Amino acid sequence: MKRIFALLLTLAMMLSLAGTAFAEPITDFVTYQTTANEMETFNILYSQYAKELDVLTNCIDGLLSNDNYGNLVPGLAETWETLDGGLTWTFNLRKGVKWVDYQANEKAEVVAEDFLWGLEWVLNEKKNLAANMSMPSEMLVGAQEYFDYTKELPEADALALGLEKFQEMVGIKAVDDYTLVFTCKAPMPYFATLGSYNCLYPVSGKLLAELGAEGMKAVFYDTLWYNGPYTMTTYVQNNEKVLTKNPTYWNKDIQTFNTVTVKMVDSVDVAFQMYQTGELDNVTLNEANLQTIYRSPSHEFHNHLNEARPTKYSYQIHLVYDKKLEDGSPDVAWNTAIANEAFRLSWYYGMDFTNYLGRVNAINPLNCTNYCYTAANLVATSDGKDYVQHVMDLIGLQPSSETYTRFDAEKGAAYKQQAMEELSAKGVTFPIQMDYYVQGSNQSALDTAQVLKQTFIDCLGEDYVVMNIKTFVNSLIKEVRAPQLASFYINGWGADYGDPINYLGQETYGKDNAFYSRAYSKIDLATDEDLIAQYKEFTALVDAAAAINDDLDARYKAFAVAEAYMIEHALVIPLYVNISWQLTGVNDYSKIFAAYGIQNNRYINWETNKQGYTTEDYVNFAKVYEENRK
Amino acid sequence: MLLYTMKRLLQSIVTVLLVVTIVFLLLRLLPTDYYFTEEQLIKLTDQQRHDQLAAAGLLDSPFVQLFRFYEDLANLDLGTSRRIQHGVPVTQVIGGKFLVSMRLGLISLAISLFLGVVMGVLQARYKDKFGDHVGTAYTVFVNAVPTLITYSLVLVLGARLFKLPSMYSVRNVARSSILPVVCLSLTSTAGYMLWTRRYMVDELNKDYIKLARLKGLSSRKVMYRHVLRNAFVPLAQYLPYSMLLTIGGSLLVERFFSVPGMGTLLTDAISRYDTSIVQAVVILYASLGVLGVFLGDVLMTLIDPRIRLISKGNTR
Repeated sequence: MKRIFALLLTLAMMLSLAGTAFAEPITDFVTYQTTANEMETFNILYSQYAKELDVLTNCIDGLLSNDNYGNLVPGLAETWETLDGGLTWTFNLRKGVKWVDYQANEKAEVVAEDFLWGLEWVLNEKKNLAANMSMPSEMLVGAQEYFDYTKELPEADALALGLEKFQEMVGIKAVDDYTLVFTCKAPMPYFATLGSYNCLYPVSGKLLAELGAEGMKAVFYDTLWYNGPYTMTTYVQNNEKVLTKNPTYWNKDIQTFNTVTVKMVDSVDVAFQMYQTGELDNVTLNEANLQTIYRSPSHEFHNHLNEARPTKYSYQIHLVYDKKLEDGSPDVAWNTAIANEAFRLSWYYGMDFTNYLGRVNAINPLNCTNYCYTAANLVATSDGKDYVQHVMDLIGLQPSSETYTRFDAEKGAAYKQQAMEELSAKGVTFPIQMDYYVQGSNQSALDTAQVLKQTFIDCLGEDYVVMNIKTFVNSLIKEVRAPQLASFYINGWGADYGDPINYLGQETYGKDNAFYSRAYSKIDLATDEDLIAQYKEFTALVDAAAAINDDLDARYKAFAVAEAYMIEHALVIPLYVNISWQLTGVNDYSKIFAAYGIQNNRYINWETNKQGYTTEDYVNFAKVYEENRK
Repeated sequence: MLLYTMKRLLQSIVTVLLVVTIVFLLLRLLPTDYYFTEEQLIKLTDQQRHDQLAAAGLLDSPFVQLFRFYEDLANLDLGTSRRIQHGVPVTQVIGGKFLVSMRLGLISLAISLFLGVVMGVLQARYKDKFGDHVGTAYTVFVNAVPTLITYSLVLVLGARLFKLPSMYSVRNVARSSILPVVCLSLTSTAGYMLWTRRYMVDELNKDYIKLARLKGLSSRKVMYRHVLRNAFVPLAQYLPYSMLLTIGGSLLVERFFSVPGMGTLLTDAISRYDTSIVQAVVILYASLGVLGVFLGDVLMTLIDPRIRLISKGNTR
């Protein structure tokens, strides 16, 4: 009965979509990017920014890719397997894939050795300047050692290195032209997901021979070799780039555009103007444009407002446990307060962030609610239950479109009272001063900070905490983070590969590779014993989960326990996911949608409509998508 | 004249070298962290950063670096870009850009010079008449309204009413250049109108004009043979400078219409701390600046023979 009902529902929705299905699809897609996001490199092995990877992911294929539900799908590797619980991984490459130049002239065949050349480049300190080396060096046998070896070599010697020493040291082997074997340091059941990330991408050995190391560093769109669905046929810096369908592309089953033109515009306002005149096929709206359209039912685009899908980033409040004052001395009052669990929990329960979320999504703020540290859709247990749902069950919270469910005024007030008593006994005076930094030239960030400040006043009171909005000129890292001036940061993490360790590992205690601990929270420098004990407990839970390599369900459930522990002790406070509003002729639900890796912006299999989709279309897309997921 | 030229040339070279040296040394005073992106600062260890700086010679004394820079400059090597286009020679980065800026700049300069001078002359001739008031209103409007608002108006009107492309495109240069050229011309036309009118009115009130009129010269002859010629001298002085500076492009117009020119290069390079680009662009701008001033002086002597660039004997 359930199946029949689902079938009928899907059928009904498909019928309601029939109108849009008959709409004329876009064959030459025109989109935009702001000039601040212009590419700086065409070397996908070197790039670490979305502004480049979002383009280059269309030009070069890696071992694996994802589908629109985030599942791993074959890329250059047709099949992949591990026979020893994740210690060694074999990727069987497809035959006959061609490297072509930007005009689609065939140059060479893609072979397993190209992946060796790619990884050698990444791990050679003099070639790739340590970009993208952290994950392979953490995971693969001999990778860190090879990096250290190249670091010690004179520049010319390191640049001249071939594959001999590399193969001798690093756990990667081209068994033949179409078989690639990786050897991990320990069993890593998630290693295959790294196959969709650019640190394991190939580069043709013949291209390297042609360009030389210096030439490869400066590789340009017209000297690059391509094996992806598009080649870049035009590139004019700060103006436009044109991707043209690669006629030799191996996958004939996918749908691509004939061309994709990315126009570089000064601002979203210019992009909106261009959308109105039909020069663009999509535009993400800023708050002013969104409000103008939303508040005016007669506006030509009022019925075309579409809520985008969440980005892969999960945003948190990162608390700083070793804050300093501007004169370099420790901020004793803050450091003492934030080490107190009741103080942190008064934030966790006592803050209603609805107004703050309104700065992220002005129409549906509660759609941006985020109660977990890890982003949704990263991994799921074998019963199909998302990892994040396991965490939510443990912390006892469920998102609601009506209320901010984590907010509990009574609990917040009780923790506030407890914190004031405990901290007063330690000599802390109230209100506690907290410093929050935003870029001085960013008016939008200043406005958002003002909303946050007001939220603190409304929810916790000025007798308890006072949020000081401070500004930096150019670099948060250099001006604020290095001298440890902020009381807390709001920042987001997007995973590079598909395992919770890529999130939780960033917050552990006493580990060099724990990014947020080392760079932001400075927990390793904290002195409060209770706080350190909690962090050690959390770290032990993460380590225990990471040690489970033979049962993915058990692994994910153990990680969920660790994450729930971190959240319930408010070591980090989850805040939001980013959901914007747009006018578009693209069905976002047909796009690749992965919570990790670099595949999301591939212009393949996109369902489009020249007239632009209506709000109703998008609601139906979401329903059909969710039905199909089930 | 030859002596003057040689002297000015020498002065110009010294000026350019001085500017470049000061900029070079100032850039070296900034903390070395600025050589790295935020991402690199996050991911690289202190040792890795140190190694990279050492390998690039950026830990040497600023004077050693300066000497090396001039040595490379003598070989016409301006280095490679670190950030704007990683690893690409600076000359290549700049190469394609200045032609675009120069083309748009020269077209708009020609338009604004022609329109500005003609309108200025007409305003002066029909001073305090309706046309003069309209011209003054235009000048006040262009100068009073914030530039970005004027550009937005041009963009909206041009794109919606005339279906012109909203941004510059290398695949449709002619049509897509119209709106940037209009924006570039708007302000400078107003400038030329304002100054031509002012100089002309000044000249019209002088005694030699009254005398010429009393002698029975036609109004037309007085206006064009005497007034305009004398009024144009101060404008002419800045003409070569303006023409050469078109190579530098316009920051606002180029950014607004995504013109791939020189206008945004210097600010982008400074904000990304791409020192090789900054140095090269500073050399270019400084050279163009001193050359423009020099050519302006020469042009003035050609238009007005009374002006001498070198002192004559027995003159007071």
